[in-house]
Amino acid sequence: MSFPKKPGGKSLDVLKTLPRISLANLRPEPGARKEDQRRGRGQHGGNRSGRGHKGERQRGTRPRLGFEGGNTPFYMAIPKYGYNEGHSRRPQYHPLSLKRLQYLIDLGRVDPTQPIDLTQLVNARGVTIQPLKRDYGVQLVDEGCDIFAAKINIEVQRASEGAIAAIERNGGIITTSFYDPLSLEILIKPVPFFMRGQPIPRRKLPGEEMVPYYTDAENRGYLADPEKIQQARLALAQKYGYILPDISKDELYQMLCMRKDVRQIFFGLAPGWVVNMAEKKILKPTDEKLLKYYSS
Amino acid sequence: MLRLSLVVCGRRVAKRFCLQFASSFSSENALPSNLLLPTNLVDPARLKRPPPPPDCSLPVLRTCSAVVPSHLTPVHTWVETLEKQDSEPLGVAHLHPDVFAVAPRLDILHTVETWQRAYKRISHANTKVRSEVRGGGKKPWQQKRTGRARHGSIRSPIWRGGGVSHGPRGPTSFYYMLPMKVRVQGLKVALTSKMTQDYLHIVDSLNIPTPDPQYLLDLIKQRHWGQSVLIVDISEEFPENILQATANLKTVNLIPLIGLNVHSMLKHESVILTLETINFLEEKLLWHDQRYTPLYPFKLPYCDFP
Repeated sequence: MSFPKKPGGKSLDVLKTLPRISLANLRPEPGARKEDQRRGRGQHGGNRSGRGHKGERQRGTRPRLGFEGGNTPFYMAIPKYGYNEGHSRRPQYHPLSLKRLQYLIDLGRVDPTQPIDLTQLVNARGVTIQPLKRDYGVQLVDEGCDIFAAKINIEVQRASEGAIAAIERNGGIITTSFYDPLSLEILIKPVPFFMRGQPIPRRKLPGEEMVPYYTDAENRGYLADPEKIQQARLALAQKYGYILPDISKDELYQMLCMRKDVRQIFFGLAPGWVVNMAEKKILKPTDEKLLKYYSS
Repeated sequence: MLRLSLVVCGRRVAKRFCLQFASSFSSENALPSNLLLPTNLVDPARLKRPPPPPDCSLPVLRTCSAVVPSHLTPVHTWVETLEKQDSEPLGVAHLHPDVFAVAPRLDILHTVETWQRAYKRISHANTKVRSEVRGGGKKPWQQKRTGRARHGSIRSPIWRGGGVSHGPRGPTSFYYMLPMKVRVQGLKVALTSKMTQDYLHIVDSLNIPTPDPQYLLDLIKQRHWGQSVLIVDISEEFPENILQATANLKTVNLIPLIGLNVHSMLKHESVILTLETINFLEEKLLWHDQRYTPLYPFKLPYCDFP
């Protein structure tokens, strides 16, 4: 047990004996300020000013970067291959390990008694998503599946089989859902969106290539059949060798069953509503056409 | 004039020092006439009141509302009044060590001070380039056969009256922002240094009996608060008396708490805070120790930011 020290310690004791700190006493830390290099000054810096002797070096007429004197340069000799082709159209998913998720829950940054959403993860500063860099959300990764011990209702964009097994083993529910880039930006930073005063848009459905992923019960997709999901849960429990706990007898069953509608972005807010942050009011559309559009 | 005052002050301080160390100076009791000591030397006559002892009988007027870490203890200071010139302190106040007893980072003070001076600076120095100087479009004389040096314009930089090649160009801004946490730490270090060097005084309120500026000056002189005093109140509404008293005084200045900055604190010798200002200060400065990184500017509402 450490004794309570005097606040500040020895340095403040020394400060008491020194003259008053005033505008005349301040100076930067020695070594903090480095002088700029000035070319062409002094005995050693002058003369050729660090440019060498004659030729293109001194005269500043060297050819462009990569030029090899006339033979085919390296960057032209090597044949092309589509490593990065279409890289700006490839969806990226920020990895979230179960170890990190457990860390966040243990520190109290993420509340396991409420459904865990991407908004909750970003508010807890657990992940940093950049929708403008082709991030389409978060993916759950296996790492830490043996340490994981929290019962949560989590919604991510992709999940590995081991992660799904780890969450269901502890009596939780995991869903994978799709957010198009606009909805994702709104989901990550809801407050700047609400300040704009625009109605909450409908979440778009996944594109052709992603529909098989989200309609598959194995991936717990949000478009999949609930019955098939239940069968998949049992199959996974058999595969990984754990007993699937019965969630319906849980006290938090209501919370664990909470799932978003296919077109909904936020829990409790429907598409088409306008949130007024200053007056703390929600405005809902009354026009028939708008209602029809937003509820379709 | 300046040198005279320097010598006088130096002599007074030096005399006190000599009296203290009389034993060490055996034969030299008289001061040399050309002795020049800096005016901001630590003056023993000022340190009359030691910090409050742990078993003080006066009431504790303010305790730390924020949680103090277990390895640190709060800083104890006297709480005084401005009502009477020669009154004893009213009580004791406990100040949070993470605001008033942080490490004395003088380099941060220097950084914040240079930032404060530079970021508002717009230098309007502007010189004309050879294209901007009036005239000089025509070739002064033909290229060859005149026997004179060849020139293209009478306003080239080598000519008298010509343009300046590499001079200052138009209004230049020296704006840059230091990270928020560095500026906050600068405030904390400034408050700490004022507290440890005994230049920070806490007052219960700014009510004075008369609007007479002489009252304040006598009070300051009697309590040895120094040459210049910075009085900080919580809001922009100050009591009438103190507003009138400080209106025409150059060395005693009144500012609201949102105007507290490192430059003003270092420029004035003493800083006077009220009890309400300390609550607000601690709350605002300690929040930065434990906040998350901002997702969007702090001006927009956050669920956990008040």
